[in-house]
Amino acid sequence: MNHQDLIKGQATDVSPRLALGALNNRWAMAKAADFANDVEVLNFALTLEFLEAEFYRQGNKAVQLSGIEGKFLKQIQSDEESHVKTLIDTIKKLGGTPAEAPKVEFGDAFENRKNFLTTSRTFENVGVNAYLGAAGFIKDKGILQAAAGIFGVEARHAAIVGLLLGLPAKGGVFVGDVETAKSKDEVLAAVAPFLAGGAGAGGTEKVIIPAGAPDTGAGGEAKDTTGLVQATTGGVLVAGAAVALIARHRMAPRGEEDDD
Amino acid sequence: MRPFNKNRVFGGEPVLGIAHETDRRAFLRMAGLVGVGAGLVAGGLMTGASSAAAVQAADKGDIDILNFALTLEFLEADFYATGLKKGLINGRELELITEIADNESSHVTSVRALVKQLGGTPVNKPTIKFPADTFKDKLSFLKAASTFEEVGVTAYHGQVGLIKSGDVLGAAASIAGVESRHAAVLAALIGGNAFPAPIEKRRSKNEVATIVKPFLS
Repeated sequence: MNHQDLIKGQATDVSPRLALGALNNRWAMAKAADFANDVEVLNFALTLEFLEAEFYRQGNKAVQLSGIEGKFLKQIQSDEESHVKTLIDTIKKLGGTPAEAPKVEFGDAFENRKNFLTTSRTFENVGVNAYLGAAGFIKDKGILQAAAGIFGVEARHAAIVGLLLGLPAKGGVFVGDVETAKSKDEVLAAVAPFLAGGAGAGGTEKVIIPAGAPDTGAGGEAKDTTGLVQATTGGVLVAGAAVALIARHRMAPRGEEDDD
Repeated sequence: MRPFNKNRVFGGEPVLGIAHETDRRAFLRMAGLVGVGAGLVAGGLMTGASSAAAVQAADKGDIDILNFALTLEFLEADFYATGLKKGLINGRELELITEIADNESSHVTSVRALVKQLGGTPVNKPTIKFPADTFKDKLSFLKAASTFEEVGVTAYHGQVGLIKSGDVLGAAASIAGVESRHAAVLAALIGGNAFPAPIEKRRSKNEVATIVKPFLS
């Protein structure tokens, strides 16, 4: 795998475990294990919501969107902040300890409107996949309702951002007649590039989100169902976190994981 | 490859929302994981090793919930099919609504198949009647569409806590997410609120039945 391969997304033989190993040690949940209880599911969700909330907080400051677009993105930010609060409150009510806000690195995601919206769509679709994949582990029906309720709103976000990007209805705004579930490790691998300090050697290397994402006007990325492709091509990525992006394109055989 | 640890995914029951062929191929790559044998149902909401167990354990309440969803999907699919025939929209809106209509039609097919797979009997398509002015112009059509989608979202979320089977929950949720997308986009098209709340609202089956009753003669 060389630099050009990373940029073009050609490298495919990477296990999600490598990506997980690159994550900061604080992510105890980043082992490919079941969710043992509702608190673990909620903390997984909370980590993602922290990431999203901070992404929009920074993005809405850095990228000036006007009119209805600006309004939508501010509403999305407000929703994510509300999700963070709801999850923290719920975790505490359950007697659990809420996860800390992760250190984040969004690189060139705020370089321009297109990068911002493209990365936004990535987050939202990953969030949808994450909640759907985790829902089955939730025991408490009230918590399940809340998690499902948040999941639906993330899907709204994803669709609207797809609309703002002018993506095709099929595969862009809508991603099929059913949503896709992803496992915890797949989700964590997908967001690894946005978590600071994820490199193999030393914890201070920055993950740079690619600049100059490919033209994503109508007709682009029609086959993609999660939006991740748009965030992953055309940039320099630190090795450990880079593999995480590539891993999304290929499901590594489960035998490589060490959770059994 | 290691033997499949069924506790790894979705509480022991795989969540399977096979949307497009690309997803199906991706799923098949994982086939070893879920122990798929001869049980693949093309285009199904639930496939794999869990399906036999699911049929045995199928809860009547879950089947009723799916049939409730099926009625709503019949209603939505018919609404869009009717509306599209009127030629009220074009361009980008037509592209979006066509995809929405396609989704709803798929939902009818999938939910019917799932009910059958669970050993239940799918309800028939109801007789549907829309008020005369539903399709009188583009805005009326889009406003009605927006209303149907929002009701559909609340209907699904109202049932989430009542579903017994993990598989049925996964299937229902995988559809509900799409309805949320529909709702958001339609709201945007009519200048409404794409994000009415940070968490989807829920309506009971009775509340929803009351709302849709006028359309089901």
